[in-house]
Order: sequence, then C-alpha cells, then structure tokens
Amino acid sequence: MKLKLIDEIPVQVVESAVFLRDELRKRPLPLRLFLALCFNLILAPTVLAATDGAISRVNAYALGILALVTVALAIYLFAVMLQPERF
Amino acid sequence: MTPANSSTRTPSPSNQSPRQPRQRTAKVNTSGLYNRAIRDAFAKLNPRLMVKNPVMFVVWVGTIITAIVTIDPNLFGPSPGHNLRLYNGLLALILFLTLLFANFAEAVAEGRGKAQADALRATKSDTSARKVLPDGTIQEVSSTALRRGDQVKVIAGDIIPGDGEVIGGIASVDESAITGESAPVLKQPGTDIASSVTGGTRILSDELMIRITADPGKGFIDRMIALVEGAERSKTPNEIALTILLSALTLIFLVVIAAIPPIANYSKSPVSIANLISLLVALIPTTIGGLLSAIGIAGMDRVAQFNVIATSGRAVEACGDINTLILDKTGTITLGNRLAEEFLPVNGHSAEEMAHVSLAASVFDETPEGKSIVRLAEKLGATVDFDPNKAEGVEFSAKTRMSGTNLPDGQEVRKGAVSAIKGFVRSRNSANSDLSELDVAYERVSRLGGTPLAVCRDGELYGVIYLKDIVKPGIKERFDQMRRMGIRTVMLTGDNRITAEVIAAEAGVDDFIAEATPEDKIDVVRAEQAQGKLVAMTGDGTNDAPALAQANVGVAMNSGTQAAKEAANMVDLDSDPTKLIDIVTIGKQLLITRGALTTFSIANDISKYFAIIPAMFSAAGLGTLNIMGLASSQSAILSALIYNALIIPALIPLALKGVEFRPLTADQLLQRNVLIYGVGGVIAPFIAIKLIDMVVAGIGLA
Repeated sequence: MKLKLIDEIPVQVVESAVFLRDELRKRPLPLRLFLALCFNLILAPTVLAATDGAISRVNAYALGILALVTVALAIYLFAVMLQPERF
Repeated sequence: MTPANSSTRTPSPSNQSPRQPRQRTAKVNTSGLYNRAIRDAFAKLNPRLMVKNPVMFVVWVGTIITAIVTIDPNLFGPSPGHNLRLYNGLLALILFLTLLFANFAEAVAEGRGKAQADALRATKSDTSARKVLPDGTIQEVSSTALRRGDQVKVIAGDIIPGDGEVIGGIASVDESAITGESAPVLKQPGTDIASSVTGGTRILSDELMIRITADPGKGFIDRMIALVEGAERSKTPNEIALTILLSALTLIFLVVIAAIPPIANYSKSPVSIANLISLLVALIPTTIGGLLSAIGIAGMDRVAQFNVIATSGRAVEACGDINTLILDKTGTITLGNRLAEEFLPVNGHSAEEMAHVSLAASVFDETPEGKSIVRLAEKLGATVDFDPNKAEGVEFSAKTRMSGTNLPDGQEVRKGAVSAIKGFVRSRNSANSDLSELDVAYERVSRLGGTPLAVCRDGELYGVIYLKDIVKPGIKERFDQMRRMGIRTVMLTGDNRITAEVIAAEAGVDDFIAEATPEDKIDVVRAEQAQGKLVAMTGDGTNDAPALAQANVGVAMNSGTQAAKEAANMVDLDSDPTKLIDIVTIGKQLLITRGALTTFSIANDISKYFAIIPAMFSAAGLGTLNIMGLASSQSAILSALIYNALIIPALIPLALKGVEFRPLTADQLLQRNVLIYGVGGVIAPFIAIKLIDMVVAGIGLA
C-alpha cells in the first residue's frame, strides 16, 4: 500500500536524524562549534550587561566568542598536559 | 673454536685496521630541499597538523584573531592607538611568519630525512631471485614475491634479494650499498656472526643458499627508510616531558594574559586585543616550541648517517642517559683477529709433536682462530695423518669450553680453556697429570695479554697455544672520554683473569669480568640496572640476545644472528662494536641541544618583558622600565615580535646540527650551557630588539 505523504514525513525525519547522528559521530567538531555558538547566545548578553552599554552588541558577541576560544585553548592545553601521547 | 670468548669474529677489514674515519651512507641529494621545505611549511599550516604542537597552535589561533582585528580593529571594543589597521596587519604578518618559520624548520629536517630515504631506496631494486622450491628445483621469481622462510640461491654477481640467513655455501659479499664499506665481507653458515645477509648487497664470488628472514617491506633497509623519513616517528619520552612543560608554561601565560584586560581597564589604560596576543606570543616559548620536532628528527638522521638503524627515537634518547657500557673484549676492545702466534709445548713434548696434535684438534674448526692454528701447525711440518671422513669433529660449546676431534682410532684430541682441558685430562688420566708446566705456560701467555689454549690427546697434555690479541689503537682515549662523561665501561670476556686484567689495564676500562659465560652477560646487565643505572651493550651472537633485550640500549651487529638483531633496539650496519660510543655521543648531543635551546627560549622572555610591558602600560607608569629606549609602544611591540619570529630560522642550523658535544662532566656541561644559552639568551635579545626597533622606527612602520 502506498504510504501517504503524512506518513512519510516522520520516516524521513527519523532517517535524517539517524544520518546526522552518524555523521556527527565521525566528525564531532562541527557539532561542538555549533553548540559553542549557541552558548554564545547566552554569554554575549551577559558580557553586554556587565559592560553596562559601553560596548556595542557586535562587540559583546565577539568578546563572547573570544572568551570561548580562550577557554577552549586552556582546555586543549590541559588535555596536552594530561594526555601528551595523543598529540 | 676458541673457548675464551663465545662470540668469535670473522676478520673483516673494518675490524682489522685501526679506527677509520666513519663510513657514511652515500651522500644524499639535497638539491631542491629548501624549495620543498617552503612548500611544506605552508602545507603544515593545516590545523590538524598544527594541533600537534601546542605552543605553535596557540600562535596559530592568535594569528587568526589578529588577522580578524586587522579587518575590523574595533571588533572587540574601542581600541587605543592610531593606524590600527596597518599596525594590526603588521602584527598578523609577523605572527604568520613565526608559524611559517617554525614549520620551515620541521620541513627542512624532514626533507633531509626524506632525501636520505630516497638515497636508501635507490640501493633497493626489484631484483629477480632464484627461489628453491621444496622439490629442489629452482624458480625465477621477483624479490617482492619472496616471503619469510623461502630459500633462495644466489651466485656471484647477483644482488641478494632480501634480508636472510646463510644456510649453505661460502662467499664474499659487497655491502657498500648499505654501509659504504667497499671491502668485501665473508659470509658463511653456522657461525654466529657471518651468517646474516642484508637485501640489496651484492655477492662477489662463489654462491650462497639463503633463507629469507623478512617479508618485503619489512627488511632492515625498509626499517631504516621508515625511520629517517619520519613516517613512523612518535614523540620520545623526553619530547613528551618537554611538551608538557611547554604546555604548562603556555597555559600559565594564557591565564595571565586573560586576567590583564579587567585590571588594565580598571587602571584606565586599556590594552587592545592585538597587543594582548602579541604579549602572549612573546611570553610563550615559541623558539623551542617551533624547533623541538626539528631537533628530534635531526637526531634520528644523525644516527642513520652513522649507519645505525634504531627501532625508535626512544632508543636514541636512552643512549644519552647511559651510565654503564658493557663491551666484549674480542673484536670490540681488541682487533679480534686472534691468531696463533706460538706453540708452547710442555711435559717434554716437542713443538712438532704439539703442532701435530694441535692440527688434529683444529681440522674441523672453521673459525679464524682455528684456521690460524692449522697454518701455524703446517708451518712446523705437521700433517693430517688420518681420514677426516672417518673422524668426528667436536664443536665448541660455552659449557665445555673446548673443541676437538674424535679420531678414527678412538683417541680424543682436544683444545680449549686451560681449566677445561685440565679437567678433561684428569678425567682420562687422573694418576699422571703433571700440570705445573702447563700452569707456567698459561701464566706466561696471560701476562702477555694473549689467550692461552691448552692442547691434549686423551690424558696427555701437549702444551699451550698462544693466541695473540691486540688492543685497538685509540680505544683508551675513547674510554677516557666516556669516563669524563660519567659513563662506566665494563669489559666482559670469557678469557682467564690474568689475560683480562692485562687487556683491561691496557685499554683503560673501569672494570672487567673474566671467564664470563653467556649467562653472566645478562646477570651483569641486571646487576647494574638494579643499582638504578642505564646499561648499553653490544652483541652479535644468539647467546647475546637475552642480554641485548635486557639492556636499556642494545646494539646488535648487522653481521650477527637474526636473534641478536631482533632482541636489540639498534643494529649497526658497519658491525663495528665501538660505534656504541658514537651512538651514546649522539644521544647526549640530542638531549643537550634540547636543553640548550629550551634555556635560550625561556631566557629570551626576560628581555621581551622589558620591551613589551613598558610599551603596553606606559600610561600606568611603567614607562620608566623602557630601559632599551625603544622609540614608541607600537615599535617596541613590533620589534619584540620580529625578534621572536627571526630567532627561529636563525637557530635552525644549530637545531639541525646539534650543540657541539664536549666530553665534560655534567656539572661542567651545565655551567657552560647556562653561561652560553642562559646568560646569552638574556643579553642577545636586548641588543637585537634595540637594533630592530631602530630599523622599524627609521622606516616609519610605527
């Protein structure tokens, strides 16, 4: 029996989700970058609020990303110290 | 066969002559090396490769951020200063050049290794081989079709198709393709040291039956190629320790830099992101971070240039920390071609009688010592008066310490260690054993530093053969060098105590062990290691394999058995046991070079503080620290970073060549290196940064 469109959509969504999950397992970096940018959506307004309007919204978002990059570098350096043979 | 030392030596030219200048592999073709290195320097900017070097990866991230603020200088907030785009662009360019120079250093080191690998590959050729099938017929196959366990026949003029063990025949082999030594080497089966052949070498005369011991791509030349190419290079323990230190320093400075903006803003002297990144790059040890891998690769190349195959960089590094060197006497400390010099008859026998019995005892002895006894006996008119086909040869063993012949008429003639022959004689003729003359002859030979071999027929002693051995010229000076470096030398020999003492005193070793059995070798290694020492030893026989495996650094001779080569972590293609001394020197040089450049890199920071900090915080009153009198804050920062970038290519030659090795004590070395690289590392940047600042200000860049 031919599936109706309404029945096909959930199947396609599930297949897409499974595909994405498999791809992200192989290459986790894009997911992490995306999650970091999402986290910046929380961080940047905090920076903006902390500077009390002295900087613009663009500056706040840029500083948020810079802070995340700095934290990521620190985590990377910790990882090198704890598991140097990986590098 | 001699009982005195269980590893006998086939006399080869390299063992017989005084120490020759080191034979190297063929000169490699380095044309185009720098062009390729420049291309590779750009290719190494790939983040997947940069992430393996933590210090340079931080510089890489800093470069990208600086490039971004070149496009929009106020991206992270209002930035003080003028001509910010030009200034930030210059900073980004200098940081980019820092990365390129570091990658270039690594690429040059790798390029030299690749050129060496290409030269080695040229010695390999896809040759045809005469494979011997199970039914005895011969089939022509390609050398790449051969597998471990196959048997091949090679005749005069053929290239040996793969690494193997000689199981039949006797021939001269030209090993110059891999060792550079043009004098041929005799290969024959059954001996511990002359039965191993390497693929790519050429048979000059006669023929050999060879059992292949390595699959294609797994032979010694292939391992050497992989080693010098760096394809299988992983970080050594010392490199890992240094990487952890550099990462820790980088992390500390990253945290410090990250803490500066709030403090700077509070004190009303805000600092731009570009300046913060500049300060970070100036503080982190970029010099040693950029040169570390080049030093390691160059060290491995130096080992390969000495015709030594090391299984890993770890083995080369371990050489640098060696405390004790265990060396055989015969062939290592002495020339090794012990030849029969004289017959000393005892108990009323004449020299001719003794020659006759000695000849009978040596007729099945294929060793050089045995053949020299035969020659000396024949000079005295001795002949073989029995049918060798009806006689039975008795091989030497480390347990019996004697060899000989069981004659067709039932008599047993033996030659060997004096104590072993005494026991043999007593067991055959306990009532009439007059050993006093034997002891006198034995002592006389021993005091001359020779090896005494007693000869008997059944229960009758005939005398002592004097085997002469000569200490290699120049060996005493090398051992003095080792002593100054804090390395203790121990001589192991199966010879008697008196002979060992005489040779040890002449050669200048620190200690010796006489009448050593193969089990003693591993016991000596273990005893030294139990005291916390790192032990290096050489060996070539199957009975050396356990000790080679136990030692921290085991160097097997290429002419040795497969078992020895598999047990060791280095193989010397020249089969020169004294090469261990050169390898220890290279290992020490590697560690000293790393230490010196690390000291220099960290010492540089002091002068960079005096350049950048006053420039960045002049508004906060730190301008008085501008002791170099730099033109402006921008020129100071630019000058410090330009120096930071230029010092990397300036130190490439030192990194690749290595700090010159001096056989000094540890304290003297430390004092010397702290003076040159520590104090020099503080003073040199002051001068260099000032000069660069004058140029920068003069051009009007800042």
